[in-house]
Amino acid sequence: MDETVAEYIRRTVLKIPRDEIKMMLQKWGFLSEAQLQTLNFHQIKDNISQEVVQLCEENSADIKQAAVLDIIYNHIYQNKRMWSVYQMKKSGEELEYFDITDFKKKFKRRLRSALKNVTITFKEYEDNAIWIRVAWGTPHKKPNQYKPSYVVYHSQTPYVFISSSVLKSTLPLLCQALIVASNYHDIREMELRSHSLNSLKDIVFKRYSQNFQTCTPKPLQAGNVEPENEDIRIVDENRSEKERIHRLNQEVFGSGPQPKLEFAQYRLETMFKSDPKMDVLDKKEPFRCLVKFSSPHLLESLKSLAPAGMADAPLSPLLTCIPHKARNYFKIREKKGLYPQSFVSP
Amino acid sequence: EKADPQKTAFLLRKAWTLYSVTPLYGFRRGRLRDYARLLSAFIAAEKQKGLAVEVGVELDIKVALSSLADIRGSEQDQAALLVQLSSRSRGSPRNSEDKPVWWGWFCSVFGDELSESVPEHFTCLPLFLSHGAESYTALVGSWFQKTFDCCFRRLAISPLNLSWMVAMWAGCKLDRAASAVELVFSVPRLAQPLDISYAIHPEDAKALWDTVQKTPGEITQEEVDVFMDCLYAHFHRHFKIHLSAAKLVKISTAIASAHCDGIVKILHSQYLPGVLMLLTELAISQIQ
Repeated sequence: MDETVAEYIRRTVLKIPRDEIKMMLQKWGFLSEAQLQTLNFHQIKDNISQEVVQLCEENSADIKQAAVLDIIYNHIYQNKRMWSVYQMKKSGEELEYFDITDFKKKFKRRLRSALKNVTITFKEYEDNAIWIRVAWGTPHKKPNQYKPSYVVYHSQTPYVFISSSVLKSTLPLLCQALIVASNYHDIREMELRSHSLNSLKDIVFKRYSQNFQTCTPKPLQAGNVEPENEDIRIVDENRSEKERIHRLNQEVFGSGPQPKLEFAQYRLETMFKSDPKMDVLDKKEPFRCLVKFSSPHLLESLKSLAPAGMADAPLSPLLTCIPHKARNYFKIREKKGLYPQSFVSP
Repeated sequence: EKADPQKTAFLLRKAWTLYSVTPLYGFRRGRLRDYARLLSAFIAAEKQKGLAVEVGVELDIKVALSSLADIRGSEQDQAALLVQLSSRSRGSPRNSEDKPVWWGWFCSVFGDELSESVPEHFTCLPLFLSHGAESYTALVGSWFQKTFDCCFRRLAISPLNLSWMVAMWAGCKLDRAASAVELVFSVPRLAQPLDISYAIHPEDAKALWDTVQKTPGEITQEEVDVFMDCLYAHFHRHFKIHLSAAKLVKISTAIASAHCDGIVKILHSQYLPGVLMLLTELAISQIQ
């Protein structure tokens, strides 16, 4: 077995938390159940990984198999990576039958024609997701297995999720190979990025509960607002305001759980407008700002701002449009003409 | 009075943790070498007691005390006092270089308000800045407290003071390309905490401040409030969020950055005295 492959397997196993190693090796299926039985999972990880390497040696593992183990690790720990979303465009409306074998063949052929030294690995998952791992080399160097790109493609959709290699120059090649293999003619990066791959899928596949205007607003149930104090001597003075805020929030965010995003970024190039009495800045040029919102769960956080008194209800459409516009990077410019108060986001 | 850029270069671009220090009793500028020896012995003794700082590595800590004559505001100010801890691992050869591991310096820049009110034998250096392991800070701090009967307290920076800093520093003239004026807010009490970073192009922030400030060289609370209100209003116009209700936790400009936990980074030597003057004032307020 190649030394570099051995080292790569050793380092991959080391990344796995100790009580998950057995499960991942089983998912991998490269070592037999009998071989797995011989492993002592109660020792330090260093030793476990050495033993795994030895077993792989017995089975003559090559880089292809090692790459599959890496995909399995990254599939389970997908949230450790930052994912960007790309949308592919077809020229016509034809619904073509998706042939996975054809896809793989074309993808490999396209990449290999541009770059001789690449390691390409595929793994299909139950939700129609095709995971692709590409390790990049140069005409003179073998592929760097430690900086691969990962692509997740749902064949029934025009969306591709990419966790790029830090080797930036590889991205155009990757995009090229994707459109050729999937019979699309163009691909563009969406302004949507997150660590939570599932949330990105929720947003572009519209799998979250969206805001539907209800014809008859439901009367507020006791469970919808903060649990009222049992003490009847305490009167909630702005109960109607609270209810109004709650209703507006529901309309705008929907009542289901929000997709999980960690940040949203706005590049503002709008004019600074102030009360003329204040006698301050009155420039004809934009007031350039960069605003970034971060939270472990951004949309839930934004949803709670108005009820907490931190924001007006309804919240600004710049924020509430994030899921249905499927973007969390924005560039906002002043809209000229009839409605100087509104904003355009290209 | 400008400080010698070479001597003060080490002050720039480091994150300094701030403390206020009450006046030192019985401190004598001529005895710096003695103090260094005593502090060194103290640190060694504490390590023997098992309050080891670095685990697993045998380190000798060397202490050096020096005066930074240039770091003061008026003639009444005491020159700044620098304490530097360096390490040399026991294994390495005798003439190998010591590696600095911790810095702490006391200073007073226009701290006349305090120095005028203390009796004889007291030395006023109300601002203390440290950089390095917290455990060293604790050791040095406790030696000074025991030896000079003084008291160290962490200096937090309130949102009010942070807004002064950002308004003041956003208005400073800079010759080369400056970094953005950034305000970082935190809304902690939500079920899912939210952080908001609001960064403004430095030219635009300065342009705004220039129209707010009425008298050059002088800043009033009202002007700072107007500046902040403008920023809040611009933000509210877009996002409908009341930024004024969030907690301002950090500000950052090309001159310096400051965090509410009392951590500053000074980036520009030209404005070092100005920054230190403001921090001295904060330290004195905390002492009084």
